[in-house]
Amino acid sequence: MLVKIVMELEDVPGQLLKALEPISRFGGNIQSIMHQRERKTPLGRVPVMLVFEISDKARMNKILNELRTMGVRITQLGEREGAVRSTVLLVGHIVHTDIMGTIDRLNGIRGVMVSDLSLAMGAPNKESAARMTITAGDEKRLRLAISTLRRAAGRKKLLMITSLEETE
Amino acid sequence: MRIILIGFGNLGKGLARIFVDKADFLRKTYGLVPHVVAVADERGAAMDENGLNLSKLLKVAEKKSVAAYEGGKRGKMALEVIEDMEADVVYELTPTNIKNGEPGFTHIKRAMLTGKHVITSNKGPLVVAFGELDSLARKCGVEFRYSASVGGAIPVINLARRLLAGNEIREVCGVLNGTTNYILTRMSTEGVPFEIVLREAQELGIAEKDPTLDIRGIDTACKITILANSILGIDAKLEHVKVTGIDRISSEAIRLAREAGQTIKLVGVARRGSLEVGPRLVPFGHPLAVGGTLNAVKFELDLAREITITGFGAGPQETSSSLLGDLIDIHRTLGG
Repeated sequence: MLVKIVMELEDVPGQLLKALEPISRFGGNIQSIMHQRERKTPLGRVPVMLVFEISDKARMNKILNELRTMGVRITQLGEREGAVRSTVLLVGHIVHTDIMGTIDRLNGIRGVMVSDLSLAMGAPNKESAARMTITAGDEKRLRLAISTLRRAAGRKKLLMITSLEETE
Repeated sequence: MRIILIGFGNLGKGLARIFVDKADFLRKTYGLVPHVVAVADERGAAMDENGLNLSKLLKVAEKKSVAAYEGGKRGKMALEVIEDMEADVVYELTPTNIKNGEPGFTHIKRAMLTGKHVITSNKGPLVVAFGELDSLARKCGVEFRYSASVGGAIPVINLARRLLAGNEIREVCGVLNGTTNYILTRMSTEGVPFEIVLREAQELGIAEKDPTLDIRGIDTACKITILANSILGIDAKLEHVKVTGIDRISSEAIRLAREAGQTIKLVGVARRGSLEVGPRLVPFGHPLAVGGTLNAVKFELDLAREITITGFGAGPQETSSSLLGDLIDIHRTLGG
């Protein structure tokens, strides 16, 4: 999901950097930063508008809590659904068991897209590994995509490794 | 306090050494004087109503059975020792048997039936019959402590049951096996293949000669079973845990994870309705992304939200921290 926040920072060096740290630490991907020096508050604070992408609400809340703990005042908060994603690893005979068919099936779910695929071939006759990023319009669709992939992995005897945040 | 030690392997010896080293500390701080009146191993027993000389016993046990101690008896079995000797506490420290929990299961039951408190690190009896032992202890009016069975030195169970007592525990998950964590960490930091790191771990004594229980995730599943029973109040047995091991994790898989800012950890998860163990993607910097042989356990709670605790999950000295803690706790609760 995309999150837009406006926060007020003290006008001393290093404040912006400090405020960005929790965002990257919890896996946020910053898309834009706008420093609004001309709109300084009466207390001398500088509003900064920030847009970042984050995988889920839990992580967004962690970031916001961290910022508040640091004493950063958040004056506006808006979130836009549209990009929840999850990364999974697959281990097994991936190519021989028709990975394209699996991707087609996932892409066939409305609002779901396999947005990234990296393949690492093992030695001959050894298992290979793949990393797949699934992007979905909302959490519900993402869950559906993951359980579809889980069933396919079961049929094809692939080991599927999900993120710690995924529950079965 | 009069104490019987059943099992005198690494853990038993480690604990005996701590009793010697910390004798002054225990007496001055807690008024606790642990008199070990009997020690049994698989070949025999050493006994002395007035307390064994543990330094001497440790020396004897370097090469021989404890039965070689002055006045010791070959062929004197643990069960007889538990029945015959007057004691307050029995430490059950025999190896884990996940099939039927024996011989620990019988040792623990006999100790309780003869009115002795039990402290154990043995996962076998707990994964086979947690509920039965828990209610037997209550029926017999004795204390039953097993802090050392999960997380080694980390006070996982007591933290949850005592200090977090006001919380509803929604989930407990963790990296609970030092051997597999060492292997996965080395694979991730050095890019070394699984088989080579496993051999290295065996040479260092981090992995056992037969590493099946660790690698296949069964040791972690045992701990998840114990946590489910002891802190979530779920009547679970080992076979209720869905287990996947780490034997299929390749260097390629680890590299792909790393490129996405993640590492692979063997994680056990216990929550109402789901008990599972398997490799999971964990972001670098996540509290569970601990390295080497470290363990980490994370609680999800209604009031405190999240608490993670990290430490050493194995080793005789580290585990003694929990074994001794249980004894001091019984001493403080009941006196004596």
